[in-house]
Amino acid sequence: MLVTRPLHVFLRHPANLRSSLVWQCIRDYHSYEHEAPFPFAPTEDAILSAALSHVPTHGFSINALTQGARDAGYLDISTNLFPTGAFSIVRYHLVSQRLALAKHASSLQPQVDITANIATLALHRLHANKPIIHRWQEALALLSTARHLATSIRELALLSDELLFLAGSTTVTSSWYTNRAALAAVYASAELFMTQDTSKGFVETEEFLTRRLEEGEKVRGGLDMFGKWVGMQAGGLVDGLRSKGIWV
Amino acid sequence: MSTATIPRIFTRLAHHLLKPGPPYRCLSCSRLLAQQEQIPKQDTPNSTTHFGFETVPSSSKQSRVANVFTSVASSYDTMNDLMSVGTHRLWKDYFVRSINPGIRNSGEEKGQGQGQGQTILDIAGGTGDIAFRMLEHCTAINNDHTSKIIVSDINPDMLAEGKRRARAGGYEQSGRLSWMEANAEDLSEVENNSIDLYTVAFGIRNFTHKDIALREAFRVLKPGGVFACLEFSKVNNRLFEAVYKRWSFGAIPLIGQLVAGDRESYQYLVESIERFPRQEEWKGMIEEAGFLVPGGEEGKGWDNLMGGIACVHKGMKPLR
Repeated sequence: MLVTRPLHVFLRHPANLRSSLVWQCIRDYHSYEHEAPFPFAPTEDAILSAALSHVPTHGFSINALTQGARDAGYLDISTNLFPTGAFSIVRYHLVSQRLALAKHASSLQPQVDITANIATLALHRLHANKPIIHRWQEALALLSTARHLATSIRELALLSDELLFLAGSTTVTSSWYTNRAALAAVYASAELFMTQDTSKGFVETEEFLTRRLEEGEKVRGGLDMFGKWVGMQAGGLVDGLRSKGIWV
Repeated sequence: MSTATIPRIFTRLAHHLLKPGPPYRCLSCSRLLAQQEQIPKQDTPNSTTHFGFETVPSSSKQSRVANVFTSVASSYDTMNDLMSVGTHRLWKDYFVRSINPGIRNSGEEKGQGQGQGQTILDIAGGTGDIAFRMLEHCTAINNDHTSKIIVSDINPDMLAEGKRRARAGGYEQSGRLSWMEANAEDLSEVENNSIDLYTVAFGIRNFTHKDIALREAFRVLKPGGVFACLEFSKVNNRLFEAVYKRWSFGAIPLIGQLVAGDRESYQYLVESIERFPRQEEWKGMIEEAGFLVPGGEEGKGWDNLMGGIACVHKGMKPLR
């Protein structure tokens, strides 16, 4: 369903502002033909992207947001456009980097090995944190505050979903949920690991990520086998009971 | 059906269709005359507006509001405390904190800072409640000693009260406060694109033409400037609303009568709160004036305080 604003809302606005409203439409399905609209309005995009460039020096703070507003040609007071303050920069980074993954994914070979694809994509996403990694703990702190926790978890779920989708996972069984939950956990731990990683080019983070994904595979394989074993035993039990004349 | 009733029905029908309006009755001549007198009154170019639950000509609302505030100026604080059980102070504090006025370390840094503070226009801020808070916030939180605040009010009595408080509170010496007696619908004294922040707390409800005031705010604000408004709004919880209505219509006029000796002014107050547009509608009006309303995915575009008794609305003037 394409949710746009009703026509009268557009017409109520001055003509020069109407174009910016088109950006605010929401689409809750994926279309291969049409690119999804960017979730930030042009004004927000201008201020937040400028603010992000100040994060390495000012951190994820209201200061960076103010500097960003100044760079974009706005006033200090214009930061009132972002009720969540510094958190809006964090969210902007998460959302824009998640959407940027799609471009990178086109370079992947389809249907080669989903696990390998996931590893490549997750690593690519982790490397997007490179320029601000020394400030990333501030972002994690903001992400874990009670006020923003719901948004953070939602964003992590969306990232995990995006990674699996782009890697070519097409499962429609209950593993759809377990895969996403497991990948979200692996990604979040790798991100945390990266903040402590001092190795050159973040090789240790890469190794950490690979190990976790391998473990995930092993656990999944183990669980699969355990499930099969339980199924076999249950079938055997039923057959055994039936052979004794019990009506099962 | 008897033959006599059919013509009667036709007569009635014709009467109904051709002559709408009250039937002519000899005994009610005076009432009829009174109604005929009233109808042209509404049609005259002098439009009407509401004054609480009353409908009054637009031209007289301003003076009637003025009367209300002249009569409550002296007991303003006591009454606010009693009516809101002290929470109006919290709301005002929150309002100022959420806006975060002032430029951080303004005047100290030369390269990054714009070298000068902000120009803040506090509309309907006669008693200085918001202005003093903003001044303190600028100084204490942002270490900004240059931002200036223009306090504007339509009512000289409220301004006089504010000036008295500014002297008593030591805000006057800073030289950063100035006072202006003006109607928010016609700020011709203020230049276009000259204000960083336009605030109005518990005032816009009393304006005769809210849309004109919003357009005027849009005019005086710099591109990127912010319009911020704190106003009573609609409670979103049914049960709480019942309690709140009982309090506002039962207790507030009574407190007004007992403490300030003025029931009508406080009756007007609660009625005007009731007539103020809902959150969605008011947000729509702000957008209509050309402002960008913050919110997006995380917020609704406004900030309810105490379940919607009061509400903070903001809008930013876009660059182009």
